[in-house]
This record gives sequence, C-alpha cells and structure tokens, in this order.
Amino acid sequence: MKVLIADDEPLARERLAALLAELPEVQLVGQAVDGREAVLRAEELRPDCVILDIAMPVLDGLEAARHLAQIENPIAVIFCTAYDEHALAAFEASAVDYVVKPVRRERLVAALERARRFTGERFRMPIAPGQAAQRRTHICARLRGNLKLVPVSDILYFLAEDKYVVVHHVGGEVLIEESLKALETEFADRFVRIHRNCLVATERLGGLKRTPDGRMFADIRGAEAPLEVSRRNLPSLRKLVKAL
Amino acid sequence: MRDDGIPSDGITRWLPDFCVLPVVAAVMLVAELVVLVIVISPSPQGFSVDRLLFATVFGEWLALCCLVCLCRMRPIWRRLKPLPGVVAALFAVTAIAALASLLVKLIDAGAGLGLTEGDGDRLEFVASTTLITLLVAAALLRYYYVRAQWQRETRAQAKAQVVALQARIRPHFLFNSMNTIASLIPSRPKDAERAVEDLSELFRAALAAGEGMSTLGEELELIDRYLAIEALRLGDRLRVDRDIASMPADLAIPSLLLQPLVENAVLHGIQPLPGGGTVEIRGTTTPERVDLTIRNPRPQVAPAYARGNRTALENVRQRMRYHYGERGKLEVDAGDGYYQVAVSIPRA
Repeated sequence: MKVLIADDEPLARERLAALLAELPEVQLVGQAVDGREAVLRAEELRPDCVILDIAMPVLDGLEAARHLAQIENPIAVIFCTAYDEHALAAFEASAVDYVVKPVRRERLVAALERARRFTGERFRMPIAPGQAAQRRTHICARLRGNLKLVPVSDILYFLAEDKYVVVHHVGGEVLIEESLKALETEFADRFVRIHRNCLVATERLGGLKRTPDGRMFADIRGAEAPLEVSRRNLPSLRKLVKAL
Repeated sequence: MRDDGIPSDGITRWLPDFCVLPVVAAVMLVAELVVLVIVISPSPQGFSVDRLLFATVFGEWLALCCLVCLCRMRPIWRRLKPLPGVVAALFAVTAIAALASLLVKLIDAGAGLGLTEGDGDRLEFVASTTLITLLVAAALLRYYYVRAQWQRETRAQAKAQVVALQARIRPHFLFNSMNTIASLIPSRPKDAERAVEDLSELFRAALAAGEGMSTLGEELELIDRYLAIEALRLGDRLRVDRDIASMPADLAIPSLLLQPLVENAVLHGIQPLPGGGTVEIRGTTTPERVDLTIRNPRPQVAPAYARGNRTALENVRQRMRYHYGERGKLEVDAGDGYYQVAVSIPRA
C-alpha cells in the first residue's frame, strides 16, 4: 500500500515515517509539509492513503481532505491530530479513521487496515451535508490534466459558461465543475452576484459605468475588461458600491 | 477600580436597592430597634405602652418615607460619584426627618393630643428626631458599604482563581510535545531528555498557577522553556529575537501571566505561516514600570483550527486587572500581517 504523509512538523513526520518503515506492506511514497502540498503530491504520486495532520499552514488538514476527495481514484484519508476535538469534523470530511498523537503502532496498523479496505472497495465517500457550511480557502481545479489549487483571495470573478464555471484569478483562469449558485452560497460574504452568469469578489469591485447604449458595466480591479451588470442585480450592487 | 462584573456606576455599586422587600424589612426592623432603645432608656416620663405605640408608628412611618425617597433616588445615584451620592442620600433623609417631625409636632399641638409633650418643645423634638435619623441612616449606609466591599472581595478572589486555572497549558501543547519527545527518543535521546525536563517545568508552573506569585525572572525562564519545546517541534520555522537582559528578575508577578502570550504568538502567528517567522520579545525597564512587548507575524486569514480563540488573551487581561487594577496595561496592536501585545506592569 502506497502512503503519503503530511505534517508541518519535521519531527512528527520523522516519527510517522519511522513507524511506517516497520510495516512491510506499506510503502512511504512521499511527505508533504502543508495541506496544499499534500493535495498536489497526492495528485502526482497517486497514493492509496494519505495520513493528514489537521493543524497545518496554507491549507489545513480538513480542507485538504475535501480536495483529495476530488481526485479520480479514491484516496483513503487518515487524520492524525494532537487532540481529538476535531474528530467530528474529520468524519464529516470523509476520513476513514483518525489517530491521535503520539501515535501507537497498533493503532496506526488498525487505521491502515481500514484504509486498505476502503481502497479495496473503490467507492467514493459521499460528501457530508455539514461540509457545505465550512468555507474553503482554496478552489481545486484541473488545468491541462494537472491539479491546481487557487487561493480564494486570488479570485477576481466566477463566470458561468455552459456546463462549467470559469474561475478568473490573478494568475490566469481555470475551469471547475461546480454550480454558480453553490459558490454564491458558500462565499456569500466575499462574492457578489452581478449577472445571471457572474459572481465578483466584493473587495475587487471598482466603479459602475453606463455605456451610450444604456448597458451597465462594473470595473473589476485586476481584470482586463469591465463586466456587464444585469438590470436585476443593479439596485443591490449600487448600494454595495456606494457602501465600499 | 477592580472590575469584577459589577457595572461601575458610582454609589449603586454597593448601595442596596431600597425598593425590594428584604431591604425594606431590614430597615423597618432597625427603625423599631431604635424606637425600643429610645423608649426603654431612662427618661422623666418613664416607660409606657402608649409611648411605645406612638413612637413605633412615628418611627416606622419615618422609615417608610425615607425608604420611598431612597428608592426613588436610584436613577440619580447612577449619575453621581460615590461621595456626592452619599451626601445626597443623607441630606434627603435628614430633610424628610425634619419635615416629618415638624408635621407631627404641629398636628399634635393642633389636635391637643399631647403625645409629644414629654419630648421637649418644637425645636428640640425636630432637632433630636433629625439627628437620630441621620445617625441611623449613616450607620446603615456604612453597613451596606462594608458588606458590598466584602462580597466583592470574595467574588474577585474566587474569579481570579478560576481564571488562573483556565490559564493552564492547552492539551494540544501537551500531546504535540509528547509526540515530539517520542520521535526524539530513538534518534536524539539528549534532546528528548531536555524536552522532558522543560515540559516538567512548564507543568509544574501550570499546576501551581493560581496559588500565588512568581517572579519575572522565573516567568521569563518559563517562556524560554516553552520556546525550546516549540523550537524542536517547528524546527527552523520558529525564530526568536529576545531583548530582555535589563529586566528586574526579582519583581513579583502572577505566575504564568506572560507565557500564554508567547504561546499565542507561536500558535496564531508562526505555526500557520508556511515559512514560519520571528517572535520578538522586548523588555524595557523604568524606575516605575516594566514593559514587555511580544510581536509576531501572522497570516492574512486565520486558519480554521486556530480561529476564534481569544480566551488566552482575555484570561491574561482579567488577571492583570485583578492584580494591578488600573495600573497594569495590556495593549494589542493588530496590524496588517503582524500582531503585537504590550504588557506594562508597575514595579511597586
């Protein structure tokens, strides 16, 4: 079984690696120092199981697990945490098990056994309803076959096109298969609807202007061209721009 | 003023609400006792039931008038400082006593009942009644003041103990440290040994927190022990810049007052940053005060696992308030990308 471990503490990784080295059927394929690296390395190395610390910089373990769930072949997630107050959230993020630090060898073996069965059955854990309540800090997308994590703070706007939503961010654009409605709900405090097909980062909203033919456009700081505002969203947007 | 949850609005902090039954009953009982003392005490007229009845009715009526007035005065007290408040209350009581006794004397004289005949002429009667009422009122106010003071003291003490208990080390830290030690044992036993010693020191202090004072020197050493453990855990991500050489090591301060601030800096500042950062600890000393600032970088967005945890800071603030009152200061400067806590403690 191929295992990837992610923990920001070098000694914690060292200990976990030492424990795993004693297990003959386990192959440690890689180590990650934060949640973001864990997701990217998991995409690249395709492990059967990822052992995730919860308190990590950039992307915490709980959010990393949600992004891992989007990788094609299912990856079993085991959380490894110092104190078990996160247990409930861990299971909502569809982990197969969680272990507490310092990890006992027998406990780790039991967790890996559960992980092995999970990968054996090849099914996708359903996303728990409670998860939607937790806002992501990154958006996970695929760009030319590679997994890409875009920080939500870098996103300029979401534009719905046919079956996809195009995420325009500071460093370019990516496609995601999510509904604009769900994104609007999840990021209600940071993004505002300006058109049937468009959500804009509130902090990047510039002024509003009217073209000679009577259409309204909003300036987006950092974007190349202004975006059209629909008649329906205009009154609430006017209020928002005035308040900024 | 020490804060202990009771709103600081002058005299109403300790004066009871005269509109409630237990207080009314207590005041009326005191009035009756005073009446008994006066009637029983040797006088030319001697003891008589008539005199006792008349004095009781008069005394209780006077007491009720004063109670109604004091009850109505509560909104005024809220706006007054303690001393003017007390003066106003006593003045009101005196005025009521003077008016009431004058009224009684006039009615008595008009109706020719002769109930107050033995109590001297008009001036004498008014003067003695007023004076007695004033003295009793002053004694009562003093009683309520002392009682409130005592209650507040007990409550503040209990609270300080609870707060100190809450300042104890977080479970996360314990288990993370144990994990660190477990991984050091095979490869770096010397470091593991030192980590166990450091952890023991910290827990000894944490278990004793709330049982009294420590010294600044000991507190700074605890911070060093704490940082030594975290440095093992976080590796080179944790850097520390200290400038605390000039601090008076023997200054008495509450135990485990400062360590939680450094723990906050590591937990909310250094740990969530992928590249870590530097915790700056600077101390300056003047003849009157000791100032300590703890500064750390912090991420733009607080991570979910560390969010909404202001209890440690609030805890330190409350303990400072309890031990130093207005003379202790704790200021937070949360800027873009950094966080700084400045503690200022009086030396005397």
